Amino acid sequence: MNLRRAESRWFWCFAGPALVGFGAFNLWPMLYSLGLSFCRYEVVAPPQFIGWQNYAYLFGHDPSFWPSVRVTLVFTAVQVPLALGAALALALLLHQPVRGRGFWRAVYFLPSILPQAVFAVVFSFIFQADGGLLNQGLALAGIQGAAWTTSPTWALPVLILVSLWGFGYPMVIFLGGLQNVPRELYEAAHMDGAGAWARFRHITLPLISPVIFFNGVMGVIGALKVFDLAYAFSLAQGQMTPGGPARATLFYGLNLYQQAFGYFHMGLASALAWLLFAFILLLTVINFRLSRRWVHYGD
Amino acid sequence: MLSRLRELLSWCLVLLLAGLGFWWAGRSREPRSEPGRTEITWYMIITPLRGLYEEQVAAFERAHPGIKVRICWVPGGEFNVKLKTLAAAHQLPDLFFTGDVWLSYLLPFTRDLTPYVQRDAAEIGLEDYFPAIRRAMQLEGRYYILPEYLNLSLLYYNRRMLAAAGQPEPTADWTWADLVRAGQALTQPGRGGRPDTWGCARVEGWWGEWLIYVRQAGGQVFTPDGRRCLLDAPAAVAGLRFYLEKSSRYRISAPAGFEPLNGFVNQRVAMVLGGHTNYWLNYNQMPALDWDVQLLPAGPAGRSGGELAIAGYSISRTSRHPEETWQLVKYLTRPEAIAAVVRHGHLSVRRSVADAVLQAPGPRANPRNLAAAYRQFEFGEPIPHHANYIELMFQVVQPEVDRMLLGELTPEEAGRRAAAAVNAFLATFDPRAG
Repeated sequence: MNLRRAESRWFWCFAGPALVGFGAFNLWPMLYSLGLSFCRYEVVAPPQFIGWQNYAYLFGHDPSFWPSVRVTLVFTAVQVPLALGAALALALLLHQPVRGRGFWRAVYFLPSILPQAVFAVVFSFIFQADGGLLNQGLALAGIQGAAWTTSPTWALPVLILVSLWGFGYPMVIFLGGLQNVPRELYEAAHMDGAGAWARFRHITLPLISPVIFFNGVMGVIGALKVFDLAYAFSLAQGQMTPGGPARATLFYGLNLYQQAFGYFHMGLASALAWLLFAFILLLTVINFRLSRRWVHYGD
Repeated sequence: MLSRLRELLSWCLVLLLAGLGFWWAGRSREPRSEPGRTEITWYMIITPLRGLYEEQVAAFERAHPGIKVRICWVPGGEFNVKLKTLAAAHQLPDLFFTGDVWLSYLLPFTRDLTPYVQRDAAEIGLEDYFPAIRRAMQLEGRYYILPEYLNLSLLYYNRRMLAAAGQPEPTADWTWADLVRAGQALTQPGRGGRPDTWGCARVEGWWGEWLIYVRQAGGQVFTPDGRRCLLDAPAAVAGLRFYLEKSSRYRISAPAGFEPLNGFVNQRVAMVLGGHTNYWLNYNQMPALDWDVQLLPAGPAGRSGGELAIAGYSISRTSRHPEETWQLVKYLTRPEAIAAVVRHGHLSVRRSVADAVLQAPGPRANPRNLAAAYRQFEFGEPIPHHANYIELMFQVVQPEVDRMLLGELTPEEAGRRAAAAVNAFLATFDPRAG
């Protein structure tokens, strides 16, 4: 009994600070923001309870809410498969037994070290409509380039393209997964006459499915929370309000930030944050449910 | 029993340590002021005039040995966020830099300066401020800000480009039609089918230009009581239409998204309507840029409608040293201080300083037609003093205007959508809106 109590004491000694930290800096602010989402709170005056009014305004009247939802969902739907596909393709290439494999792995991982904001700034100069590198190159070929960064049609595709440079982390995870696939399975399949595609389709993909699932879930969560890329992109364009042109790059996270720290509508921003939390939770639960059909853990 | 007691004691110790930790983390870090001296804090935007302000403060401290001023320099983009965060934490500085554009928004924690202004009216030379400036200083008849400089919408033009195109310089009686005529003559075709130089810039992303047209066409953003948006009114729509048609019909401005980067400075745009007086310093650092200003061209409803926005000093409502802070405000806005700011390329808010500049003999840096800038005061209007103005303009109205420029909406649709969205916002967040 004494041993049990001593263990318990040591448990609380070690876990206590982390739990206190979690409670004070995560759980309490989360619960507080849930309360704030039902209040009008502009920081300079105490919160005032207004019931569901923030949520009603978001769904019914806010001109930014639905555009930001649309932009974020389009980005997620396009960027995540593209990023995962690019990362998997590169991981497959870098898994081949070629000379200087380590060097090439490092080279392809390097862009991921840089923050997304840096890419946003650099690429915005490349894609500048008037005097940008791309349009200058196109002009040499007699082609009139588009307003890549300032047209609502092109701004989001450009951002998706820029975001793909962050493929390094999923690529490394895919590489780890590929290295765990037993070589004997490939040898056996090869002896049975399976081609490269068949080996990839029937051995590689099922055996790295947990890694694909992990990268997919993390990619979706990351895409739904995009902020720095869009914010830096807006700043690099000299936009007075982030998310332009005409809300074409107004990501949900950016909209939330603007409401909270641009205009100090903390109640509205809290409502936005809780809607995002609920959506991510729901999507993750669905992902886990669906994963039972295609993810193989080897048991 | 003993072990239970020991356990209890260790828990108490842990809680005590945690409590001490929280106290230490949250304790006030305000530096202690020197004995016998009152310390006042001043939040100021980082500006090219930083050296000038530091000199002013040093001189003020010499003149007022009992007062020490601590300046906190804050980047412009973070300034208002920082200020509101400080307000939320009850840590506001005594003095902060602001403008009438922001004042309605910052009003909940800004001190009413009316008693000080009335008491010291002669000392501060209240009558020395231009009447338009005095109007901008007030909010519902009360004073909350003492101005230092201002921004004024003007017509900027490149003298060399006009001369090269054989165009006379703009005159004070110009109308929109004259702007279009000169703009078309100044728009020069380039390679690839798109002009290399444009007659007139288009200020995108904020209200700097389109609000002028809306007002000059007889429109307004809000009703006088600020409870309803009027951008769907025919006059406002006419203003928005002219803003659009500068490129879509008259082709004097680049299509949306193709505005040359720093076009006026790089001499790819001959005229700018609206502009910002803060750029004068930059313009004059470009030796090849020969520029000047003129009154804004008149619209269908007249010449009034250009922005007149003041920047200056307000005292926080919670300042513990309002009297000492007021001394500093008076010092920073006295005629000599204003003259120093004007020498760095700003317009004067004081008539005496403006007269001295206009009557000074000898050549003057651009703009040469400074008299036109001071005459434009008569036609300048403050932006609506509405607590949510900036947010509504950026968040709600501007995206609709952007969509109009991109051809997705007609001016009528843009005005209607903007007005509906603003009114929905006001109905939810502005208790005054009915």
